[in-house]
Amino acid sequence: MTQETVHAVTPLVRVQDLSVRFAGTPPVHAVNNVSFDLAPGEVLGILGESGSGKSVTLKTLLRLLPERKTKITGRVEVDGNDVLSLQGRALADHRGGVASMIFQDPALALDPVYTVGQQIAETVMRHEAISKSDAMTRALEMLELVRIPSAKRRLENYPHEMSGGMRQRAMIALALACRPKLLLADEPTTALDATVQIQILLLLRELQQEMGMGVIFVTHDIGVAVEVSDRLAVMYAGSFVETGSVRDVIRDARHPYSKGLLAANLVGAVPGTRLDAVPGAPPPLNALPEGCSFAPRCAHAEAACHASPLPVWTGADGRWARCVQASRTETLAKAEGQR
Amino acid sequence: MSTPILSAHSLVKHFNAGGFGAARKVVRAVDDVSFELAPGETLGVVGESGCGKSTTARLLVQLLTPDSGSVRYEGKMVGPELPLKSFRSKVQMVFQDSFASLNPRMTMIDAVAFGPMVHGVSRAEAMRKAQDLLDRVGLDPTRFGGRYAHELSGGQRQRVNIARALAFDPRVIVLDEAVSALDKSVEAQVLNLLMDLRRERGLTYVFISHDLNVVRHISDRVMVMYLGEVAEIGPAESLYSAPRHPYTEALLAAMPSLDPDRRTMEAPLAGDPPNPIDPPPGCRFHTRCAHAFGPCSAQVPVSHRVGTGHVAACHLNAKTEEVA
Amino acid sequence: MAVTADTVAHLATIEKSQGYWRSVWTRFLRDKVAVCAGLVAAGLVLMAVFAPWIAPANPLDGSMIKRLSPIGTEGYPLGADELGRDMLSRLIYGARLSLFMGVVPVLIAFTIGAAIGIAAGYLGGWVNTITMRVLDVLYAFPSVLLAIAISGALGAGILNGLLSLTVVFIPPIARVAESVTTSVRKLEYIEAAQASGASSLRIVRDHVLGNVLGPIFVYATSLISVSMILAAGLSFLGLGVSPPNAEWGLMLNTLRNAIYVQPWLAALPGVMIFLTSISFNMLSDGLRSAMDVKQ
Repeated sequence: MTQETVHAVTPLVRVQDLSVRFAGTPPVHAVNNVSFDLAPGEVLGILGESGSGKSVTLKTLLRLLPERKTKITGRVEVDGNDVLSLQGRALADHRGGVASMIFQDPALALDPVYTVGQQIAETVMRHEAISKSDAMTRALEMLELVRIPSAKRRLENYPHEMSGGMRQRAMIALALACRPKLLLADEPTTALDATVQIQILLLLRELQQEMGMGVIFVTHDIGVAVEVSDRLAVMYAGSFVETGSVRDVIRDARHPYSKGLLAANLVGAVPGTRLDAVPGAPPPLNALPEGCSFAPRCAHAEAACHASPLPVWTGADGRWARCVQASRTETLAKAEGQR
Repeated sequence: MSTPILSAHSLVKHFNAGGFGAARKVVRAVDDVSFELAPGETLGVVGESGCGKSTTARLLVQLLTPDSGSVRYEGKMVGPELPLKSFRSKVQMVFQDSFASLNPRMTMIDAVAFGPMVHGVSRAEAMRKAQDLLDRVGLDPTRFGGRYAHELSGGQRQRVNIARALAFDPRVIVLDEAVSALDKSVEAQVLNLLMDLRRERGLTYVFISHDLNVVRHISDRVMVMYLGEVAEIGPAESLYSAPRHPYTEALLAAMPSLDPDRRTMEAPLAGDPPNPIDPPPGCRFHTRCAHAFGPCSAQVPVSHRVGTGHVAACHLNAKTEEVA
Repeated sequence: MAVTADTVAHLATIEKSQGYWRSVWTRFLRDKVAVCAGLVAAGLVLMAVFAPWIAPANPLDGSMIKRLSPIGTEGYPLGADELGRDMLSRLIYGARLSLFMGVVPVLIAFTIGAAIGIAAGYLGGWVNTITMRVLDVLYAFPSVLLAIAISGALGAGILNGLLSLTVVFIPPIARVAESVTTSVRKLEYIEAAQASGASSLRIVRDHVLGNVLGPIFVYATSLISVSMILAAGLSFLGLGVSPPNAEWGLMLNTLRNAIYVQPWLAALPGVMIFLTSISFNMLSDGLRSAMDVKQ
């Protein structure tokens, strides 16, 4: 998908200024002023460590957070619907019909007392006026779609009778049964062995292209993100710090945190040498520092980093990074170019 | 190779998985595993879940007793020739779960001092040593010494676990997925610490991980395990650049490329790793191997020397290479 | 190497984190229900201890004219029982025997059961299998039946009642102790301690006990109410405590005939049993959640 079409069509997902607070003393600032668009058929990878707010962002798109303890501000639109105001029937149609989700642990996400076939058929019947036998036929199609061998027999299997990779395939089948326009993937391959992980990643990539759906893929693993994403967003302490096409972010990271992550993934490291490690740990989400949350760990931090709002550097193809230094180097480069 | 500091000789460990008589199920967790560690080197151990990496680690540090085979420290068989207690202070282990490996009711300084005290060091002396070690692993003892495990982050806890292992002044440390549960940026810090300590103290590591990138970075030699057996073992350099076992090849091919222009186009293996309860006959890998031919399903492959210190157990090497 | 004064001084500067039991206490204080239950339980215990000073009358002195006086009669604030004894005083004195029969068997059973369970759990293997199967046999009897059977065989009396209740509570406590210990034993800090070369006894003392006694104790406190009710049941059946002693279960039994004449009066011992058991149960619930260490 080329960059022009991304901007030409109305986005499938439009998130504006999304913030999520969890009740507590002091409250936990899990997501802070996150904005992004996702075009239909686009794959966005959200890369972040534990506690960065990546999963919370994803769950907000399905309104899966406990309502009483959560305060959500901002605007979330999926397929033209204002997700934050959906109620009752409309919310149920949204969950599973328009958008659906796959999780890290299929053993927890699938119901152990129903067969895989029953679960898929039931989901289809909930969203579409369709007979039970037709729903079962659809379930069979779905299992074949996710390349489960001898699918007919597997229809009768309970989740515990399947291996880890097979269960993950079954969960993908369940998520895609109603042909959603948006698939939300929350670390779906993290618990799997490497040789199985790559199978699932390739499957997701194929299915995404076949069905043309938009995907938001949350992971802590750069390698995984690169395998599946068109665009990449790097998240730190509840904020997006950098976004751009996968190629741009990997080849030319502008935010020092993204650079640190790449170094930690041993990109271009000589074996046996010390790594260029980012010191320290992320700040607690109930006591975020003023200005850039990464400044306390950043080797290049300066006075300007501790003030809000932070300058944002923008590049071509919707690239940007929220960093004082990134914006300055760009201005310098421009100035030099003009000279 | 000079006298190995630690060596495993035909280690076998099977677990009972229920059932009686003919229906008795046995998990063949480790089957005939042998290898040697030279002083000061780091051996990486890789493989998928159920390949026996963790069982091998526990056999090495004598937390499990092998069904047969033995572990030798500097050539002396542990048990008959070397008392277990003195072996314990020479070979230590760091576990994956940093929280579960610390007693929730013990302060960090007590946790580190416990080992030396078991070995007869006075309490004051053990405390002093624990302070120095906490300091060495990057934790200010005055701030962290009095804390409990749940008051520390994952990275800090793993530093404490490393300090605890160091408190014995060991020569060998077995690291069982010791950095796997940490966030990437913290993992890099701990890897740096491990590499610094190795240089300072001349430590020998057995570094077990599922992350091939990390293993490549820290290891001198790498051992690839599959369903309880050693598939291939050799210098990191040649094993990664020219693997001689199809399974090693597949593992390497399954690594995400980290290059958006050279994404993986084909999965090297289909399906999940088989269950170690009932491993396939012959070469255990033949059911998933793209190169499987005649003898693979019938004969257990012997180890062939395929390079300097590089051994692979695959029938493909039978014609060209000598038996190791 | 000699320990210098400097070393000691240096050690002293370590910031002591809030200890485990301190943090449990802080969390417990935040739980209002548990604190209320704790206060009620404490009040009941004080009432039992200071019964002779609190009680307005001798619990054994009866007056035939005042038999079954209703609640609120002058001089008898809570009425009088079927022999004309002051109900309030009997209820206060009753707390002594009732609490004794609730707490003591559980305490003894806790000591024995925890020892058995921790040993079986830590040693594992065939020791565990045999111990637990033997306990399962005892466990298979309903606790009421078992208590009645033992008491019946031994005859009435406080000591025999105590003994039978203790025997009834050993298997469940040992079971919980075994399962808690087994789960702790699988944790890696126990493996790390084993890899340190420490002896089993030392590992149990330094690493196991501190982590298992708390949960076992909490479970045992939840048995106090059961023990009280069982003791009351034994007394009710004429086993355990015998007249004219004041004990709530026994009082419930002897007032049973008056239930149509003075229903509120007859219900009073039951109210006390209910109040005591519910306050001990809520207290143990509160303790359990306060002792949960989160990562």
